[in-house]
Amino acid sequence: MRRGPLSGWGLGAAVTLIYVFLLVPILIVVAAAFNAGEYLRFPPQGFSLRWFVRFAQSESFVRAFLFSLQLAVYATLASTLLGTMAALFIVRHARRVRDALRLLMVAPLQFPAILTGIALLIFFYATGMGTRGMRPLFIGHTLVALPYVFLTVSTVLFGFNRSLEEAARSLGAGPFVTFRRITLPLIKGGIISGALFAFITSFDQFPISLLLISVGNTTLPIALFDYLRFSYEPTAAAVSTVSVLLSVAIVLLIQRLVGLEAVSWGGPR
Amino acid sequence: MLLILPIILFLIVFFLIPYANMVYMSFLMKPAEGAYVRQFTLANYARALGDPFHWKVLRNTFWYSILTAAIALVLGYPVAYHLTRASGRRRAWLLVLLISPLLVSVVVRSFGWMILLGRVGLINQLVRSYGGPELALMYNPFGVVVGLVHVYVPFMALAIAGALQNISPDMERAARSLGAGQWRVFWRVTWPLSLPGVFAGTLLVFILAVSSYVIPILLGGSNVLVMPMLIVQMLLDAFNWPLGSALSMVLFGLTGALLWLYVKLLNRALRWSQP
Repeated sequence: MRRGPLSGWGLGAAVTLIYVFLLVPILIVVAAAFNAGEYLRFPPQGFSLRWFVRFAQSESFVRAFLFSLQLAVYATLASTLLGTMAALFIVRHARRVRDALRLLMVAPLQFPAILTGIALLIFFYATGMGTRGMRPLFIGHTLVALPYVFLTVSTVLFGFNRSLEEAARSLGAGPFVTFRRITLPLIKGGIISGALFAFITSFDQFPISLLLISVGNTTLPIALFDYLRFSYEPTAAAVSTVSVLLSVAIVLLIQRLVGLEAVSWGGPR
Repeated sequence: MLLILPIILFLIVFFLIPYANMVYMSFLMKPAEGAYVRQFTLANYARALGDPFHWKVLRNTFWYSILTAAIALVLGYPVAYHLTRASGRRRAWLLVLLISPLLVSVVVRSFGWMILLGRVGLINQLVRSYGGPELALMYNPFGVVVGLVHVYVPFMALAIAGALQNISPDMERAARSLGAGQWRVFWRVTWPLSLPGVFAGTLLVFILAVSSYVIPILLGGSNVLVMPMLIVQMLLDAFNWPLGSALSMVLFGLTGALLWLYVKLLNRALRWSQP
């Protein structure tokens, strides 16, 4: 137990206020979704699920929701596979080029996503691929989700005890059996956490999607954004609430699997 | 080797080449009709840098970002300090509270602020019920900075917490045992040792804020124009890819120059502060 010099009431009160500032805008959206009235008034006008029903009946929102889910699943699978392979290689085998490779892997995180989206848009047109269908979005989302998987799996691999693998090998297990029976179970938590980060990164992705969507292929954040530019009735709040619940579920899952502490300041940001 | 090859190929084709292509595009000619012709020109840069309107937009973009980084530092530091001093289980829950907003879509968070800050929003309803005047809290720079700070405080807090985490408690204990008071320990021991986190956090938040797009549109309305909005307009509405690319390069270059200046000033300040 470490008690700091400034652990008095003042700090506690100030920090509480900052957490309130962080959470209130999100909680207010959830509250608006369950509010019975047409507009959000204070105090609220009773509890109702009508805006969720309205969401379920809105064809454009439901289609965008399903499209986002599908896209996020594909992008998660691709980025998890590629990111895990890269982490295994860089942590274990790369020697002289390790730093350069790490830099390359996290580069999509360092460049502004909106400019990456623009670069991809121009590139897809220049190569004649165009931006129709899900493929351009899939590529863009995989690109920005990759660093998260890479960083999370690397963090787990760095704290990995290799003597277990050596023991398995010395007992006669081949490299594939060793990987499947020893390595994989031990880094599973890291891989799943990375995949969850990748999923939410894709599901909430805005800038890349903005530039690469095409008619009939709209993601949920874009649908919500278009809607909010002109009105903000509670259907949007119901849509948002579903997305908030998804995020909270993912945070809690990661916390259970590897602990948020490991991924928050274990590796580079 | 087989493990790394696919991803390197993927990053070269879909990351490095597109960016290189954008640099190339910024030197191409924009004809009256069509997207571009393959002919070298510096006209796009002349237009991007010659228009005083672009400079005004750039100045606003950087000003909001600096303000955001400064306020996020003031709010993020106590959170990080408090977090690293909390004990095991409590700390885990505080981290859940801090990281959950980080994973909620920026669109949803802007929506929350729209409900709070709008003309008939909750804050104005509350003010009016006490007979106060209607406050313009949104569709202006104020709303934009509030939204930006909200999004980037967790990033700042995590960056600083990373640095605070590495300070040995013995350092503070030693200072205390030598008779230093709470504030003296903080200013002479903890704060200097946490500076790497402060630098990392302010740099990160500044970079992220410069390229933010959703918040300025939703909370700034038509009264705020920042560089990413201008660039996207140039590309999607005006369909001028060469100029859009040149403006992107200008944004990159100036952001880089400002960061370089910041790092240089900080290094000098650090050298002075050391005995």
